[in-house]
Amino acid sequence: MSVNSKHHRESRLAFWMLAPTFAVVLAFVIVPVIWNLWISLKPVSLADLRGDALFQFNLSFENFQKVFSDPDFDTVLLTTLVYTIGGSLLSIFLGLMAALLVHAEFRGRALLRGLFIAPYIAPVVAVTFTWSFILDPQLGVFNQFAVDHGLLTQPIPFLSQRWLDLDIMGVGLRIPMALFSVILFEGWRYFPFAFLFILARLQAIPDEFYHAASVDGATPFQRFFHITLPQLVTVLSTLFLFRFIWTFNKFDDVFLLTRGQAGTKVLPLDVYDYAFGEFNIGASSATAMVLFGVLALFIFIYFRWGMRIDD
Amino acid sequence: MASLTLKGIGKRFGKTAALSGVDLQVEDGKFCVLLGPSGCGKSTLLNVIAGLVPQDKGTVELDGHSVDRLAPRDRDVAMVFQSYALYPHMTVAKNLGFGLRMRGVPKATIRKKVLDTATLLGIDDLLNRKPRELSGGQRQRVAMGRALVRKPKLFLLDEPLSNLDARLRANVRLELKQLHSQLKTTIVYVTHDQVEAMTLGEKVVVMRDGAVRQTGRPETIYSFPADTFVATFIGSPEMNLYRGMILRNGERPVFQGREFHMDMGNLRLNLVGRGVDLGFRPEDVRIVEAGAGTLPVKVEMISDVGSEKFIHTQIGQEHLTLRAPKDASFRPDEIINLTIDLTRLHIFQKGVRVD
Amino acid sequence: MTREALERSIIRLIRIAGILFFAVIVAFPFYWMIVSSLRPLEEILMNPANLGLDFRKIDLSAYYDVLFDHGFIRYILNSLYVSIITVALSLTLATVGGYAVTRLRFRGQSFMSYSILIIYMFPAIVLVIPLYVIFSHMGFRDSINVLILVYLAQTLPVALYMLRSYFKTLPLEMENAGLIDGCSRFGVIWRIIIPLSAPALASVALYTFMIAWNEFLFAFMFLDTPDKFTLSRGVVQLAGSVHLSKQLVMAASVLVTLPILLLFLFFERYLVRGMTSGAMKG
Ligand SMILES: Nc1ncnc2c1ncn2[C@@H]1O[C@H](COP(=O)(O)OP(=O)(O)OP(=O)(O)O)[C@@H](O)[C@H]1O
Ligand SMILES: [Mg+2]
Repeated sequence: MSVNSKHHRESRLAFWMLAPTFAVVLAFVIVPVIWNLWISLKPVSLADLRGDALFQFNLSFENFQKVFSDPDFDTVLLTTLVYTIGGSLLSIFLGLMAALLVHAEFRGRALLRGLFIAPYIAPVVAVTFTWSFILDPQLGVFNQFAVDHGLLTQPIPFLSQRWLDLDIMGVGLRIPMALFSVILFEGWRYFPFAFLFILARLQAIPDEFYHAASVDGATPFQRFFHITLPQLVTVLSTLFLFRFIWTFNKFDDVFLLTRGQAGTKVLPLDVYDYAFGEFNIGASSATAMVLFGVLALFIFIYFRWGMRIDD
Repeated sequence: MASLTLKGIGKRFGKTAALSGVDLQVEDGKFCVLLGPSGCGKSTLLNVIAGLVPQDKGTVELDGHSVDRLAPRDRDVAMVFQSYALYPHMTVAKNLGFGLRMRGVPKATIRKKVLDTATLLGIDDLLNRKPRELSGGQRQRVAMGRALVRKPKLFLLDEPLSNLDARLRANVRLELKQLHSQLKTTIVYVTHDQVEAMTLGEKVVVMRDGAVRQTGRPETIYSFPADTFVATFIGSPEMNLYRGMILRNGERPVFQGREFHMDMGNLRLNLVGRGVDLGFRPEDVRIVEAGAGTLPVKVEMISDVGSEKFIHTQIGQEHLTLRAPKDASFRPDEIINLTIDLTRLHIFQKGVRVD
Repeated sequence: MTREALERSIIRLIRIAGILFFAVIVAFPFYWMIVSSLRPLEEILMNPANLGLDFRKIDLSAYYDVLFDHGFIRYILNSLYVSIITVALSLTLATVGGYAVTRLRFRGQSFMSYSILIIYMFPAIVLVIPLYVIFSHMGFRDSINVLILVYLAQTLPVALYMLRSYFKTLPLEMENAGLIDGCSRFGVIWRIIIPLSAPALASVALYTFMIAWNEFLFAFMFLDTPDKFTLSRGVVQLAGSVHLSKQLVMAASVLVTLPILLLFLFFERYLVRGMTSGAMKG
C-alpha cells in the first residue's frame, strides 16, 4: 500500500469520525449565526415565525438603526461594560485570594478546596433564588439580621433599588445599588473558575524559586510581588479575557436576579426584551449581532496576542 | 567570612527522619563538601543552614552565634540550587541584582556589582537575556553569580554541577577551586559525586541516612574510612570486603573467610576469635607468581578504562577486583595469583573500623 | 521583631480571616437554602433573622408539595433523561472525533483545533434567538429531544477538546501494536484508548452532565408544556407562581442543587480535572 493511499484512507476515516460532531456544530452553531444575520436584516415580529415571511428578501438596516438609536442604548452599553469589567475583575480577585489561602498546607485544606468550588457547580436558578431570598428587604435574613443588630437603620433593597445614597463621614456617595449587588453575585459565583486555574498555576511554581528569593533577602510580601505575581501574569490575563467574553454575554444571572430592573439592564437582556417584550425578533437579532461582533473582536484579540493553544 | 557550627541537628518529615544528630564544624574560609547517596539528607541539611527549613532539634551557629531565630534574609548566606532556580521572568542582570535590590542597595551600586560579578564569571555579554535563552553552562554561571554578587558570610551550593555534561563539569570544578582560593570564602558544597568531593573538598563530610558517618580531609577518608559504608562508598572500583574470622595459626593471626584464608602478618592479636570485615582496595593487590601465601583467583571479566584495567576475579563464590596497568593482558577463566599489601588492610568489626 | 517575622504574623492573621470569610460566604447560601426549605412560612415571616434550625420543628411538607403537587417528580425524570442522553451522545462522538483529531492525518487538522476553541467561547445568548426562530418555524421547538441536540452542540466541542488533549498523552506504540495485531481503528479505540482514558472520560462525563443539568436559558426559551420541563425550568415556573412561599422555592432549589453537589462530592477529583484541562464555560 502506498503512503499516499494510506493518507487518503486515513483522511476519509477521519472525515467520517468527525462528521457527526461537524453536523451538530454546523446545525446548532454555524447556521444559527448566519441565520441570525439574515433575520437581523429583516422586519420580523414574533407573530411572523410560522409563515413564509421569514424567507422574503426584504433586507434593510432598520433593526440596527432601531437598536443603536434607542435612547437607552448608551446606558445599557455602559451598564454592560461596568457589569462585565467589575464582575470579571472581582471574580478573578476573589479567585486569587482563595487560591493563595488554600495554596499552603494545613489541615482541612482539601475540604476547603472542595467547598470553594460549590458556587460554580450549583445550578444558576438555585443560587440566584437563594441570594434573592437572602437579600430580600422584608423576608431576607441579611437585612433583618443587620437591622436587628443595629448594623443598618433600615433594610436595603439590594436587588431592586437603583441608587443608594451613602453618607460616609460627611462625604456623599451615590452607588448603583442593584448593579453593585449583581456584580458582587458575579464575583461570588465565578471566583471558583479563577480559583482553580490560579491554584493549578501556583502549585506549578517550584519551591526553589521561593527558597532562592528568601536567601536573596525577599520578605514574604516581596516574594509575593516579585516571584508569585509575575508567574501568574499569563494565567490572570487569560482568565480576564475569558471572563470578559462570557460575562459580556451573560444572560441567566442578571435575568434571574433582577430581570434587568433597577439599572441592571445589560445587552443580553435587551436581546430577550426585544423579542418577548416588544415582540420584535428583528431588533432582538440585531442586538445579538452586536454581541457577536464584540465576541469576534475578542476572539481575534485572543488568537492574535493571546496564548498559543496547542500544547 | 564566617565559621559555621552545627550542633545536634535533627529534622523529621512526618515519619522519615531526614536528619538525626548532625554535628559539624566548618572553619572560616574552608571548602567543605557534604557527600552521600541520594536521599541521605544533604539538601535538607543545607536548607536548615540557610534557614529555609526549620530544624526540629539542634542549633546552627555562624561565627559562634546562634542564627536559629533568623530568617534566611537575615543570615547573610547565599545559595546555588541544583536546578539553579533562576527567576524566569527576569533578565540575567535582574537575577544577579535581585538579592541586592531586596536589601535596598542603591541602583548604581547594584549595577556596578552586577557588572563586576558578570565580568568575573565571563557572562557580561548575557546580561540582557532571559534564563530560557541560556545554555545549561551559562545558567549555571548565572546561578553562581547570583550567590557571588553579594559577598555573603557563607556560600551554600547544592549539587551545582549535576546538570552539566561531564566535560563542562570538570572545567567548572577547576574554576570553582580557583575561585575559592581567590575569594577565600567559607563554602558548604553538596554532592553525591565522590570525585567532585575528593578534588574540591578541604574537608569532606560523608553522610548516610541523615547522619554524619565521617568527617576529615579527603586523603584521610580514603585511607582510613571509619566504617564499611564509607569504605565502599568512596573509591572506584569499590573496596573489596569480606566477612570472616581471625584465627590463630601458631603465633600468627590468620583471616579465615568463607572462600579463602590469609596470613595477616603482625596484626595486633586481641582480635583472635572475633568476626570481622576485612577490606582492601583494588590498587593494593598485586599479581605475582604462585608461591607461599599467594591467593589463586580466576579471572572473570576485564574492564578497560583506557588509563588502566580493572580485573574482576572470583575466589570460590566471592568476587575480588584489582587494578592492573593498561598493558596487562589476561583472558577470562585464566587463573592468576595475588598478594595483598598487608600494611593497607582495613579491618572493621560490626561495621566500624578497629585499628 | 524582624521584618520577616512581622510579615509572617500579618500573613497568619490575613489567612485566618480570609479562610473564615470565604467559608462563610460560600457555605452560608447553601445552608440557608436547606434551612429555609425546612421551615414553615409563618416562621420565616415571624422571625426572618433566626439563623439556627430548630430540629423539633423540621417541616418536610414543602418537599411533598413540590414533588407531588407541583410536578417535580416529572421534572426530575426529564432532567435526568436530558442529562444522561446528552452525556452518552457527547462522550461517544467526542471519543471518536477526538481520536480522529489526534491520531489521523488529514488536511485542516489545526484549523479543527482552532474552531473547537472558538466554538467553546461561543455564548448561548447569541445562538438562542436564531434557534428559537428556526424551531418555532418548523414547529418542534417545544421538545426535549431538540433540547438535547442543543446541549450536545454546547458540550461536544469542549468534550472533544478535552479528550484530544488527553489522547495526545497516550503512547502511540500501544495503539500501533494493536493495529499490527489486527485491530481495526474502532477496535483500537474500544480495546485500547477507552480503557486507558477512563479518568478523562469520567471528567468529560461529569462536565457534560453538569452543563446539561444546570442549563437554564434554552430550557426556559424552548419549553412551553409543563410535562416537558427540566428542573431548572420547573424551579423558575414555581418561583413565578408561588411568589411568596419561599419555603417551596427553597425546597425546589435544594432538589436541583443536591444531585449535582453530591455528584461533585464523590467525584471532585475528576470534576476539577475536567474543569482545568478543558476549562469550563459559564
Ligand atoms: N519537603 C519534604 N517532605 C517530606 N519529605 C522530605 C522533604 N524533603 C526531603 N524529604 C525526605 O528527606 C530525606 C532527605 O532528603 P534530601 O532532599 O535532603 O536528600 P538529598 O541527600 O539531598 O538527596 P539528593 O542527592 O537526591 O538530592 C528523603 O528521604 C526525602 O524523601
Ligand atoms: Mg538534594
